[in-house]
Amino acid sequence: MQEAEFDSLLSTCRIQLANGEREKIKKDIEEVIRYFDSMDSMDCGGFGEAYHPIQIPEKTRDDEVIKCSKSDSYLKGIKTYRFYVVGPKI
Amino acid sequence: MSSINEFYSKEKKESYYETLVKELSSLNKELNAFSTINESINSGYPFSAKDNICVKGFESTASSRILAGYKPEFSATSINKLLSKDFGFLGKTVMDEFGFGSFGVNCETPARNPFNPEYVAGGSSSGAAVAASIMKYHLAIAESTGGSISTPAAFCGVVGFTPTYGTVSRYGLIDYANSLDKIGIISRHAEDIREAFSVIQGEDPQDSTSVGKVPEEKKKDKIIILKEAMEHAEEKVRSSFARLIGKLENMGYKVEEKSFEPISKAVSIYYIISMAEASTNLAKYTGFKYGYQGEDFTKGYNAFFTEARNKFGEEAKRRVILGTFVRGASVKSKYYGKALRARALIIDGMNKLLGDGYILTPTMPITTPKFTEVKELTPLQSYASDILTIPPNLCGFPHISFPYDYVGGMPLGAQLVSSHFNDNAVIGFAEQWEKQFEYKFRYNLGSL
Repeated sequence: MQEAEFDSLLSTCRIQLANGEREKIKKDIEEVIRYFDSMDSMDCGGFGEAYHPIQIPEKTRDDEVIKCSKSDSYLKGIKTYRFYVVGPKI
Repeated sequence: MSSINEFYSKEKKESYYETLVKELSSLNKELNAFSTINESINSGYPFSAKDNICVKGFESTASSRILAGYKPEFSATSINKLLSKDFGFLGKTVMDEFGFGSFGVNCETPARNPFNPEYVAGGSSSGAAVAASIMKYHLAIAESTGGSISTPAAFCGVVGFTPTYGTVSRYGLIDYANSLDKIGIISRHAEDIREAFSVIQGEDPQDSTSVGKVPEEKKKDKIIILKEAMEHAEEKVRSSFARLIGKLENMGYKVEEKSFEPISKAVSIYYIISMAEASTNLAKYTGFKYGYQGEDFTKGYNAFFTEARNKFGEEAKRRVILGTFVRGASVKSKYYGKALRARALIIDGMNKLLGDGYILTPTMPITTPKFTEVKELTPLQSYASDILTIPPNLCGFPHISFPYDYVGGMPLGAQLVSSHFNDNAVIGFAEQWEKQFEYKFRYNLGSL
């Protein structure tokens, strides 16, 4: 993986790596991606994508407002910065 | 009689829970199984919860620094169900950060193996397996994504049950990978697991992926050994496992070796899917809502977000980076899309095999390693060690790991797999095994 490509990936992840850590993790990641490439030889025939391991019936809930009794507790001890509210922290 | 019934039938001193907490706190200094011990427990059969399962008012961090101080305002459904049935909450157990690990070492204070503290407890439910091993009467509520119940259960010499995906609600679980996470149980005996499973299973309106199908018990008389699985096992494990097969034949099981080549790719498939899901799940840790909150509000959003994520450990960073990579627009169909189709192929193939009998493998291809040995492994070597626990987890099949031998003073575990919703059959198999094989434990805290 090129350095610029790795930088772009880190930026997308919002992950910052220290210098020593960067070299090690980049090497690990390249090794794991090469290992993932071994899957190329698999012929998946007509199989579709299994997003879940079992069939899960589609569920919907009634379109109604539910009182969340916990919401007040989330606002306890809330911090502010200038005229903003920070959070709420859960 | 199950340990749960035995516990309730016996007289207990008034100081029972106080003594248990005191003895546990003392041993915990050596073994690091618990991150929090509930000193106010005063009734019920003691159970613990892995640190990624929310318990109202108790710090729940998934052993991550980024969640330090997070005390949920609610409990997971499985916890509420236990509390409503006379179980008593004893504490939170240590784990690999967010479940990212096979050996229990990816956290600040790793749990140590109760048979010998120089050895790892296994991961990611490391503390849960240690808790089940050291206490005479205890249930450890744990969670598995790719082997996080079976592996530590095998290394610590206890029974680890992972149910069919969806049979136990995930509400209140701090996600690793939504399509793979399953809440399960680690205990000393399968009888206790049967009882606890009947309490925690069932559809939950708060978890749209939970299912209401009642677990079955379709007993099989055939055991299938997968040729590809055995190729990965080291010699000591293979020879000991061969003796187990002999015993099972004497118990009346027909044993047959079969081949299913695609499972040799299961590690790649599993890690692509799990890392893709983990990278999106961990995007919620931005330094605002949960646990760690940044202080420097002069920073722009991206800088603030990035700074907070420095709290992730090395393995969490690695998995977020890899998960983001495999979801990238230019490679998504090559990695993520292909892995999802390969999962469908493996589920189909294993389902056909399981129509005929149970699948049995060693739980791990290696004997329990020491901390010093795990330190030498590359991440890829560590991932590859999950080769035997990944297939049932990837497919959501119920499975149980049980102790079957002791080599060099350390336990070995075997893993039995059955088809979807045949959960009670794998529990029943372990109950039958326990009747003629005595498990060993080094500690017996809380004896009556």
